[in-house]
Amino acid sequence: MNEFFLGAGIGLFVLVFFVLYRVVFGPGVFNRIAAISAIGTKTLIILLIMGIVYGRVDMFVDISMAYALLNFIGTLAAAKFLEMEKQS
Amino acid sequence: MIRSSEDIITKTVSRILAPFIQIFALYVIMHGHYSPGGGFQGGVILGASLALLLITHGLQETKRRISEKGVAIFSSAGLLIYSGIGILCLFLLGNYLDYGKLASLLHVAPAEARSLGILGVEIGVGLTVMAVMFSIFLDISSGGKLPEDEDL
Repeated sequence: MNEFFLGAGIGLFVLVFFVLYRVVFGPGVFNRIAAISAIGTKTLIILLIMGIVYGRVDMFVDISMAYALLNFIGTLAAAKFLEMEKQS
Repeated sequence: MIRSSEDIITKTVSRILAPFIQIFALYVIMHGHYSPGGGFQGGVILGASLALLLITHGLQETKRRISEKGVAIFSSAGLLIYSGIGILCLFLLGNYLDYGKLASLLHVAPAEARSLGILGVEIGVGLTVMAVMFSIFLDISSGGKLPEDEDL
């Protein structure tokens, strides 16, 4: 069972780089923001899988929850910054 | 300067989400002994919930609800709690922040007095970090304009 979670975590880790391509070269700002948000979600799942592999899920759930909240606020702040750029 | 806008989605979502963020921050502060987190991390999450208010509702609305004087009072009150507990231990003939000496004041066992002392110190740290984080965010988001400026 542990090997399954380890494989899933490595797969997600590889997938992050495909999304990173969209962040660096993506046309337009909206693609970049959506890609950064997707990377945040993947990181959250990788953190939970690390918790399962290390056998301490109760500890890693706290970290991933804080990560999810700050990811949401960060995306919102970036969107607000773009709105301010448009006004001025 | 962040202005308020008519986004019903972000306003509603942040209104629903803010109490859960604050409860999670209190959980992080309270369980700092035996899980990741503590005063600083919980204070940052509390400050993030206040930053969410600033992002969604704009600078004017936020300043109407939370004054800069209130933020200053909160930041110094947290410092007072921290150093007050430390100096109380000095008066009880211990070292600075030697929580074991609080047992005679709280009428509990020394081990429990240590746990309660660390909890009090972490509450102080959390208050200070929340207020200072929000103060920094408030100053940055005003875009360098001083409060005396007319068009703020």
